[in-house]
Amino acid sequence: MTSLLDHIPILLIAIPILMAAVMIFLRSIPALQKVLNVFVTFCMLVLSVVLLEQVWTNGIIVYEVGEWGKYGIVLVADLLSAGMVLLTLFVSFLSLVYSLEYIEERSLSSSYHSLFNLLMAGLTGSFLTGDIFNLFVFFEILLLSSCALVVANEKGGVTKSSDKMEATFKYLVLSMLGSIVMLIAIASLYATVGTVNMADISVKVSAMSASGTLPWHIYAVALLFIVVFGNKAALFPLHYWLPDVHPTAPSPISAMLSGVLIKVGVYGMFRVFFLMFTDTLYMFKPIIIILSLATIIIGAVSAVGQTDVKRLLAYSSVGQIGYVFLGLGMGSVYTIAASLVYLVNHAFAKGMLFLTSGAIIHHAHTRDMDKMGGMIKSSPVMGTMFLIGAMSIAGFPPMGGFIGKFLLFDAGINEGFYIPIAIALIFAVFTMFYMFRAWMKMFWGESRDTKKYGEYSSHALSPLLTVPIIILALGVLVFGVYAEPLIALAQATAAQIVDPQPYIDAVLTRVVR
Amino acid sequence: MNNTLLSFTIAMLFGFGTFLILRRDIIKVVIGLGVLSHAVNMLIVSAGVFKGTKVPIIVGSSGEHGAADASGTVFNDVLADGVLAPVVSAGTHIEYVDPLVQALVLTAIVISLATTAFILILAYRIHEEYGTTDLRELRRLWG
Repeated sequence: MTSLLDHIPILLIAIPILMAAVMIFLRSIPALQKVLNVFVTFCMLVLSVVLLEQVWTNGIIVYEVGEWGKYGIVLVADLLSAGMVLLTLFVSFLSLVYSLEYIEERSLSSSYHSLFNLLMAGLTGSFLTGDIFNLFVFFEILLLSSCALVVANEKGGVTKSSDKMEATFKYLVLSMLGSIVMLIAIASLYATVGTVNMADISVKVSAMSASGTLPWHIYAVALLFIVVFGNKAALFPLHYWLPDVHPTAPSPISAMLSGVLIKVGVYGMFRVFFLMFTDTLYMFKPIIIILSLATIIIGAVSAVGQTDVKRLLAYSSVGQIGYVFLGLGMGSVYTIAASLVYLVNHAFAKGMLFLTSGAIIHHAHTRDMDKMGGMIKSSPVMGTMFLIGAMSIAGFPPMGGFIGKFLLFDAGINEGFYIPIAIALIFAVFTMFYMFRAWMKMFWGESRDTKKYGEYSSHALSPLLTVPIIILALGVLVFGVYAEPLIALAQATAAQIVDPQPYIDAVLTRVVR
Repeated sequence: MNNTLLSFTIAMLFGFGTFLILRRDIIKVVIGLGVLSHAVNMLIVSAGVFKGTKVPIIVGSSGEHGAADASGTVFNDVLADGVLAPVVSAGTHIEYVDPLVQALVLTAIVISLATTAFILILAYRIHEEYGTTDLRELRRLWG
């Protein structure tokens, strides 16, 4: 058994890629496909728990693919990577269970399972890799699989195919430009330091910086990385694709995109700036803070005016990712821990809200909140769940979002960032307003005009739809009531992010075989 | 001189690509993305080009490419001497261009092939749905 446990990092990437191929061969046996995919994803979830536990007790795990040391690809699982992988697989597992009922049978068996597995491989791969070019490869895997998942499913549903194509085209063009920019950055970085291993780059950049010979274009490269990861995470000037793509995706995929995929950008930012370019950070911290404040403002203000429930949630994602970047930009251990707590809470709450909105759309056959109303009578469970999510996003105790916001603002005030925190606080009030406005519009008030818009769907929700939502809601509640373990984990992770020396030692100090 | 020409070519390709992706026609945008990705590929390869070095390909037992500067006999497997190509025996020294960038660029080419294929099919479907290739007509999501 120990030999299997040693290989967890590569297993977490290889299993979904293998399953993607297996699923294509099994497309004539949909029942087996479903059972197998859910079972394997659950096994991966267990493996990622084991991985996090191992990293927590034994320190950073480095897995050399092909045993080439720093010259080959290394997979590195530190607390940040392992934690993100666990979060990803948890949300993926619940989304997968949800989509068994939600996605129609035909696309489920022909392409959905394979693409979903590839998406998981891309996500775990980008979190685990310790090689900047390999990060690019996994970015492309998750880009293509997410595009295909957005565009290829849910035909004849509430969302028109042409809308999906338009959104996907926008997303794909922007992401291709992002990957081109990333390649430019990697090429110039490689031409400067002669390595693509992140720990090695970190050592060489630090050495150049210490001897005062840091070339100016390292700053340009760092700026290019802000563009790349900002594009992935929908940071302010590059946020406008997100409110088109996330609503048009099928709801479980929206939950994956908003819950996990935009966090890849945050993760990349942590890796690149706090590991590789620590010496340029003094220049980029203010830039990240300003961009994140602009993101918060744009997201909050735009969300207020939305009538489409999923579009509102997508704009809310834009705003919330701004808070995560605010903690990142302030850059001390406490603020980073706060932003990590915020990130986890947002992943749970927003994933749950998107899954809930899927069930609501199932119920009301529309995404327009003006055409809903009084649904608390016909769908009380969804009403409760949406309220829990809305309270968490708005930052109400006893939900997890309260802990996240409280820690972030406390940390920011401790560090003396009074004006950014003031701005963030004002727009947190906006968050409260638009979340509760949406909830009241959909669930309170007059029941909708059934002559004009038709009756609500009367068939009961299947447990495959409700159970994932309830589990996520319980998670939101637990993180609010008993937040201590999460905060402890986030603080240990933040300490590791701010001091990259253990990471570098773990990667570069290898026994030569 | 050669490196100047190479840099100039890459710069021109970036210019063309940027011009094309700002056009209104979907196909021109896709072509622009293709041109841009090839510009990037050339940029990556140019990161490994150094003057006066040899290509990292072993072609013969003697002569120019891959042979040792001094003796010209190194690069066949000589198990008796403990020489396994391309491991150089002690005392020989050869300067190659960096082979890693070429591995990187292969990966980049394959990925850009996949994304370009996807976006071309997407462009075709958009043409079917909207009946136009004008990007300004794609405004159903505006609002």
